[in-house]
Amino acid sequence: MHVTRDKANEKPKIGVFVCHCGLNIGGVVDVQKVADFAATLPDVVFASANLYTCSQPGQEEIKKAIREQDLNRVVVASCTPRLHEPTFRAACEQSGLNPYLFEMANIREHCSWVHLHDKVGATQKAIDLVQMAVTRSRLLEAQVESSVPVIARALVIGGGVAGIQAALDLADSGFQVYLVERASSIGGRMAQIDKTFPTMDCSICILAPKMAEVGRHPNIKLFTLSEVEQVEGYVGNFKVRVKRKARYVTDDCTSCGDCVKECPQLAPDEFNEGLSTRRAIFISFAQAVPSSYVIDMDLCLNKEGIVACDKCLHACKARCIDFSQKGEELNLDVGAIIVATGVDVYDPSPLTEIGYRRFPNVITSLEFERLINAGGPSHGNLIRPSDQKVPKRVAFLQCIGSRSTRANKYCSNICCMNTIKDALLIKEHWPGTEIKVFYIDIRAFGKGFEDLFRRARREGVEFIRGIPGEIIQDPETHDLTLIGENMLLGEWYKYQVDMAILSVGIEPRRDSKHIQQILNLSTGKDGFFLEAHPKLRPVDTATSGIFLAGGAEGPKDIKDSVTQASAAASRAGILMTRGEVKVEAITARLDPEKCTGCGMCVEVCPYKALRKDEETGIVHIIEASCAGCGACAAECRFGAIQMRHYSDKQIYAQIASITREEPEKKIVAFCCNWCSYAGADFAGVSRIQYPPQVRIIRTMCSGRVSMDFIRFAFARGAGAVLVSGCHPADCHYINANMQTEKRVKRLWKEMQKKGLHTDRLQLAWVSAAEGRRFAGVIQKMADDLERISEKELQKTRAAYEKFLGKEP
Amino acid sequence: MSLKYAFFPGCVIPAKYPHFERATRAVAEGLGIELVDLPFSCCPPTSNMKLVHYDSWLALAVRNLCIAEEQGLNILTTCTGCVSTLKEANHIMQEKPNRRRKVNRILKKVGKQYEGTIEIKHLLDALYDDVGLDAIAEKCVYNLNMKIACHYGCHLFRPSYILYPEFLSPAHSYVPTSMEEIIEVLGGEPVDFMRRFLCCGYPLGANVDEDGSYEILREKLHYINASSAELISVACASCFEQFELGQVMIKKKHKETYGFPTLYISQLMGLAMGLEPKELGLKEHIHKVKKLLPRLEERRGEKRASI
Amino acid sequence: MSVKKVWTIFDRSRLYECYECSRCSGSCPATLTHHTLGPRKILLKCLQQGQESVIEDPAIWYCTTCMVCQDRCPQEINIPELLTGLRNIGAQKGNVPEKVKFAVEKIAKTGRSLLTFRVERERERYGLPPLQEIDTEEVSRILTETGFFKDLKIDR
Repeated sequence: MHVTRDKANEKPKIGVFVCHCGLNIGGVVDVQKVADFAATLPDVVFASANLYTCSQPGQEEIKKAIREQDLNRVVVASCTPRLHEPTFRAACEQSGLNPYLFEMANIREHCSWVHLHDKVGATQKAIDLVQMAVTRSRLLEAQVESSVPVIARALVIGGGVAGIQAALDLADSGFQVYLVERASSIGGRMAQIDKTFPTMDCSICILAPKMAEVGRHPNIKLFTLSEVEQVEGYVGNFKVRVKRKARYVTDDCTSCGDCVKECPQLAPDEFNEGLSTRRAIFISFAQAVPSSYVIDMDLCLNKEGIVACDKCLHACKARCIDFSQKGEELNLDVGAIIVATGVDVYDPSPLTEIGYRRFPNVITSLEFERLINAGGPSHGNLIRPSDQKVPKRVAFLQCIGSRSTRANKYCSNICCMNTIKDALLIKEHWPGTEIKVFYIDIRAFGKGFEDLFRRARREGVEFIRGIPGEIIQDPETHDLTLIGENMLLGEWYKYQVDMAILSVGIEPRRDSKHIQQILNLSTGKDGFFLEAHPKLRPVDTATSGIFLAGGAEGPKDIKDSVTQASAAASRAGILMTRGEVKVEAITARLDPEKCTGCGMCVEVCPYKALRKDEETGIVHIIEASCAGCGACAAECRFGAIQMRHYSDKQIYAQIASITREEPEKKIVAFCCNWCSYAGADFAGVSRIQYPPQVRIIRTMCSGRVSMDFIRFAFARGAGAVLVSGCHPADCHYINANMQTEKRVKRLWKEMQKKGLHTDRLQLAWVSAAEGRRFAGVIQKMADDLERISEKELQKTRAAYEKFLGKEP
Repeated sequence: MSLKYAFFPGCVIPAKYPHFERATRAVAEGLGIELVDLPFSCCPPTSNMKLVHYDSWLALAVRNLCIAEEQGLNILTTCTGCVSTLKEANHIMQEKPNRRRKVNRILKKVGKQYEGTIEIKHLLDALYDDVGLDAIAEKCVYNLNMKIACHYGCHLFRPSYILYPEFLSPAHSYVPTSMEEIIEVLGGEPVDFMRRFLCCGYPLGANVDEDGSYEILREKLHYINASSAELISVACASCFEQFELGQVMIKKKHKETYGFPTLYISQLMGLAMGLEPKELGLKEHIHKVKKLLPRLEERRGEKRASI
Repeated sequence: MSVKKVWTIFDRSRLYECYECSRCSGSCPATLTHHTLGPRKILLKCLQQGQESVIEDPAIWYCTTCMVCQDRCPQEINIPELLTGLRNIGAQKGNVPEKVKFAVEKIAKTGRSLLTFRVERERERYGLPPLQEIDTEEVSRILTETGFFKDLKIDR
C-alpha cells in the first residue's frame, strides 16, 4: 500500500477532466466549452477535454497531470460514478493521491443522454454540474479505510441439501462450522422426495452419504432441534444465541425401534405430510442424522421431568432414554452466516374449486412423493387415500398456487420437471396407467430436462394445455371428474380420473420470517430473501457477512441449490481466509462534545450501530456495523454526527452551487445511490428525454437528507426540491427511507403553516429500473416551475431566511 | 341492531310470484323485521340493462340507493340480481371518484344526490347477520325433516371482492354457507352436491336461447339427482323460474324426469314457523311439495341446539 | 355520456395479464350449450384481433353473467367487465338480442322489467299492498341524460 498524500492543510489544486465519451457526450455537450469554463474556476490548475477518459491513455493522462501539476484533487466529468468511480479512484491511488479526494460529475446519463435535442441546455447543465463537482472537491478529505478482523468460524442456518453442502464445503476448507437445524434430523425437503430429475436417482440415496459426512466431520458441529434466537454484531464478529431442545434420548440409541411399539400417543407424521401417524418417541426417517430417536415432549404424557408413563423406558434395552435431559442455550461466535432455511409448499385449500381437503383423492405433489417412496406410509405403493386401491387413471394439474395473483405471483421453477419425473415413475411401476398432465407452459430449461420431457411423451403421458375449471367427485366411488377446456383442440372435456395430483408451488418457509427479523434481512416482493444484486452478487445479502443458499433465496431444484450453496461457502470463505474486512470510508463519526445523549440517532439506525453508553450518557458508533446511510446524521439536531465523505458542509456547498444563478429555474434533487440515482441513470441509458432543469445531489441513502438541507435550498430561492429514494420495502439500508418520508411529511406541514405551496417539495420513490418514472417526475416538476410566482419565491426566501449562511 | 329496512322486492317477485312476497312479509313480521315500501324502480338488472347501457344501469341503480338514503334505511332485497346490482353500484360510487361525480351530476338534475350512507343486504344476510340463527330457531314450531339442496345463485356472492369483501378467503373468493345454516336451524338437512355454484342458466334463456339455458340446468339437475336431495331451495326468483319451468321443458325434450320441488327460502322458513301451505302459495308450484309436507314434525318445546 | 369505447368500461391493459390457462372457459356454464366462444377466446380475440372481431358476434350474448370466470382467473382479470363493455358497444352497433332490447325498453318506459296487467288481482288475493307508483318521468329524464335513447336509437 503506497503512502497517499492527504494534504489536509494544503491549498486545493484541482484537475478537471471533461470527457467526450466519443459522441455520447461530445455529440450533445460542447465539451471544450465546459473544459474552458472549468479552467476559469478558482483553484483549478489544470483542465482538459478527453476523448475516452476511462481508457488506458485517458487514465494515463490523469496520472500524468497528478504528477506534473502536483494535483491534490481530481474531478472527472463523464459517465455515472456507479460505473467508473472505482476505476478513477484506483488511478488516483496509483499516482499516490488518496482515492477519496476524487469527485465525478455525471454529464452523460444525467445530461447528454437525456437532453439529446437541447444542446444549449445540456451544455449549460454540464457546466453547472462541473462547477458543483469542483465546489465539492475543495471540501473533500482524505479517508483511510479501516479493517476489522474476521473470526474463522461460520454458522449455517438450515440443514437441507443447501445447508449440508455449504457446511461440507466450508468444513473441507478447514473452517469450523456450526450447522443449526430446527427439526430432529437434517435432510430437509430432499429427504422427502423419492427420485430426482433428470437422472431419476433415488433422492435419499444420494443425500444420505452427505448427511453422514456432516454427522462425522471433525469441523462440523451439528445442532438439531435447535433454533437461532438472536444475532448481534457485525461482519466477521457475529454473536449468535441458539436455543437447543432436549432430545431425551442419548447417543447410545441403537435405532432398534422397540420403544415406538409401546408408546400410546399418536400424532400426524410431519415427514409423511400427515398421511400417516407417528408416536411421541420417534425417528423422522430411517436415514436420519443424528440417528438416535427423539421424544416430542409436547405429545409425550410426561412433562417437566415427571414420569407418568414409562412404557418406552421399559422397552428400551439400550437404556438410552433419559427424561431428565434439559434444553440448553448456546452462545456461538462466528465470522460469517449462511442462511439456508429452505421452502414450504403452497397449501391449495383456498382454491375451493379443485377440492383439496374436500375430496380425499386430490393430493399435492409432496404427498405424492411420500406415497410413492418406499419409506413412506404405503411402502411405495401408489394408492388412493379413499380406498387404498392403485389408481388406473391419474391427472396432474400444473401451476397450482403459482403464477397467480390469487396465490403466489412467481413461477415455482420445479413443478414442471417434478411432474414429468412423477409421471415417468408411475409409468415405470404401473405401465398401464393413463396419465394426463394439464399444463399452461412446460418449463424444461435445464440440462437433461428437455430429454426427460421427450421421454415422458414417448411413454404415452398426455399433455393437455388448459387447467381444469373445477374438479368434482362421485360421492360413492370418490372418483374424480375434471371439467375444463382442451384449448388446443378447441373442445370441452369431462375427464374421469381416479386421482388428481396438484403440482403445488413452493414458498419460503413460514418460520423463516423469524430469521428475517433477527438478521434484518430484506425480502423481495415474492417473500424470498433478497440477494445483493440479482446478476452479479446472487448469494450475498445487503448485509456484509450474511449469505444465502438454496430455496431460501428463491425456488430452485437440487442442482441449483447445491451450486448456490458452494457459491455461498466460497463467498464466506473469502471473508474468513482474508481474516479481515475493509470498511468503506463513508461511515458516521460522532463528536462526543456535541452529543447531548438525546438518543434520537439510536432510534433511526437500521443496523443498531449506535449505542448509548448508560454511564456517560453519550452515544458511540460501532463502526463495523455502520453501513453509511446517514439517517443518524440527518436526525441529529446538534450537529454531533458527521458522515465521512458525505459531510453536511459538502452538501450545503453543492446546494449553494446549484442555486447560485437563476435558482427559481432549478430543481434541487437528492437521489440515493442504490435506487433513485440508479433510476435516473437508467433513464439515461434508455435515452428517455426530460427537461434540463434538474441538478442531482447524490447521497448514499435518502435518509441522509436532513430537513435543514431542504430549508436551505428554499432559502436560496430554489424553484423546487425533489427528495427521491428506494421504494418503502426496498431500502438498501433496510428501512432508513422511513425517516425520509417522516421528514418530508413534517416539512409539508411546516410549509403549509407558512402559507407556501407544498408541491414545490416532492417525494418520489424510484427504483433502479424506473427510468421512465424518474423522467416523468422531472417533467412534471419542470412544468410546475413555470407556474411559480415571484411573490411565492419571495415568501419562501423570507420564511427560511435564518437558514442562510450554512454554505462554507 | 335495527330491524327496519327499505324493502326492495325487485320486479319479478311482486309481479309473477307474489306468494314469495307474502311468505317474506309473514316471516319478517314473525321475526320482528319491519319492511318499509318505497317507490323503487327496477334495480336494473346486470343481465340486461348493464350489458346494453352501462351508464344508465349505474345511474338508475344509484337512484334507487338515493331513495333509500333519503329515508335513512338499509335496503333488504329478496332477489340476488337486485342485491348484486345495488351492491356493485354502491361499490363503484365509493371506489371510483370519476364515476361518482358523473352520476351525481345527473342525479342532481332530478333533485337527488348519492351520499353513501346505507348498506344493502339480501334477505339471507339480514336473517343470518342481523336477526341471528338463535332468534330464527326460537320462532320455529316445526322441523322440516327434508333433505334440501341449496342453490345460492351466482349474483348473491360473485364477484366476492364487491359482494362480500370482509369474507374473502386468501384466494380472493368466497363460499357462502348462510342458506345451509339457516336450513339446519329450520330442522332441514342441507345436502352437498357437485357443481353447487354452477349458474342455473336463467339469463341465457331470458336473453337469447332457452334451449341452451336448459342444457345448463340439466347439468345442475344431474348432480342434484346424484345426491340424496328431495327439494331445492333458492334465494332468487329467476333461479326459481329456471328450476320450475326448466324441469318441465327438459322432461319434454330429453324425457328425463327430475321433479324436484323448488321452494324460495321464505317459504321454507314459513313452513317451519308454522304458516299454512296455502298462505305460502305452495299449490301454485308445478312440482308439488305436497308429498313432503307430512315430514313436518312438531318441535316439542325442546330447545334446538344452536349452531 | 355514451360509451364510445369498450375500454372505458374495461381497462385494456389488463388483457395482457392473460396467459391462456383456460380456467375461465373451463368453468363457464355457457360452454355447455356448444354455441359459444368461451371467455378465453373472446379475450384472446380482443387482444390479438381487436374488439371489432367480436362485438358484432351474437355469441358474446351467451354469457350468463355468472362471474365464475373472474372468481377462478389466476390473474384476477375482470372478464365479466370485458363482456359488459363488448356488449355495450355491440348493442350500439345493433348486436343485441330482441328479448334484451324489449326488456330494457320496458324499464325505460315503465320503470319495471315486467308487464303487470294481472298482478293487482293476484296481490290482492295474497293480501299484499298494491305495487308502488314509479316516477317514470324521473327515470326517463335520467336515461336521457345518460344518452340511453340516443345511443340505442330508441324513441323516448
